[in-house]
Amino acid sequence: MTRDVADQPAPVLHRDWRSRDAWRGTRLGLWAWLLQRAAAVALVLAIVLHLRNPFLRPIQAIVLGLVLLHGLLGLRAILLDFGLPVRLHQALFIAALLLGVALYALAWWWRWY
Amino acid sequence: MIIRVFRWRPEAPAARFDEFPVEAGEGTTVLDALVGIRETRAPDLAFRYACRVGMCGSCAMVVDGRERWTCRTRLRPLARQGATVTIRPLYHFPLVRDLVVDLQPFVERMKAAGAAFVPGGEPPEATLPERPAIDAAIECIGCGACVSACTMVRWDPRFPGPAALNRAFTLLADGRDAGATGRWTTVFGEDGVFRCHGQAQCTAVCPMELSPADSILRLRRKATRSLFLRT
Ligand code: SF4
Ligand code: FES
Repeated sequence: MTRDVADQPAPVLHRDWRSRDAWRGTRLGLWAWLLQRAAAVALVLAIVLHLRNPFLRPIQAIVLGLVLLHGLLGLRAILLDFGLPVRLHQALFIAALLLGVALYALAWWWRWY
Repeated sequence: MIIRVFRWRPEAPAARFDEFPVEAGEGTTVLDALVGIRETRAPDLAFRYACRVGMCGSCAMVVDGRERWTCRTRLRPLARQGATVTIRPLYHFPLVRDLVVDLQPFVERMKAAGAAFVPGGEPPEATLPERPAIDAAIECIGCGACVSACTMVRWDPRFPGPAALNRAFTLLADGRDAGATGRWTTVFGEDGVFRCHGQAQCTAVCPMELSPADSILRLRRKATRSLFLRT
């Protein structure tokens, strides 16, 4: 007997993020978004830890890194919002990462206290 | 090289992948390979194409994780990265059979964003400042690749998606169109243009080299300006 297929809703395929295939075609824009969001969540936790003991160097290092990452990626998003063409978004992402590393090194090396 | 093809039929509930070894010449496209497979090895393999020259958009599929027009994608450069090339139907659309999907949701998202021309307005100024951006954006041929690539389309079924918002952008800037009021409400509503995450996946895959992401950002600027100025 044949099932009446017309009554069944047809399945819809979505990317299965657990599969390698889903990540294969992933472009930098998705990474920029993911990193910024992940940094935001991590930042909440890191700041709580930081407030409990502001003088712990490893936590200071983590907060500094996350602030730079989240902030610079936010700056990238703002620049795009204000009209920088989207074709520059990947270059901006890379620039934000490089600038982040440079500022991190600078801030860490130049301890003012 | 091996081609892994997604297979699904409404009568048989389980999806599977079939593998076919193929010989790819210098100019062999993914579509050529599929046609070859259907002619010689899998006569029941279903896929869609019409023009074969990158004009109609009906051959859009996900090849090695990326939305592409299969008639414009050559096999050789893909297979250099790996001996197997995986072909699936577009994401976010109901399956019809094998690589064929039902594009009705595309039409519905277009309608939801009010992306149909409503005649009755005044002819536009010849010097409309947005004109160069619109000139590019009107070239969309509705292939659905950008909708398949968009992650937000999955999470918010009421989000119109890149193609519909791109169309809405062209219409909102068109002085001859009289449908702005209704469109404004949906496009700038809760599930509209501000739901976009700005990942620009749509722009990365659009085979017409349009940038729906730019159109979305333009719409956003328009909305933000309208909060402060009467435009
Ligand atoms: S914007 Fe590009 S990818 Fe999206 S439907 Fe139109 S032509 Fe296809
Ligand atoms: S068959 Fe028309 S675009 Fe590929």
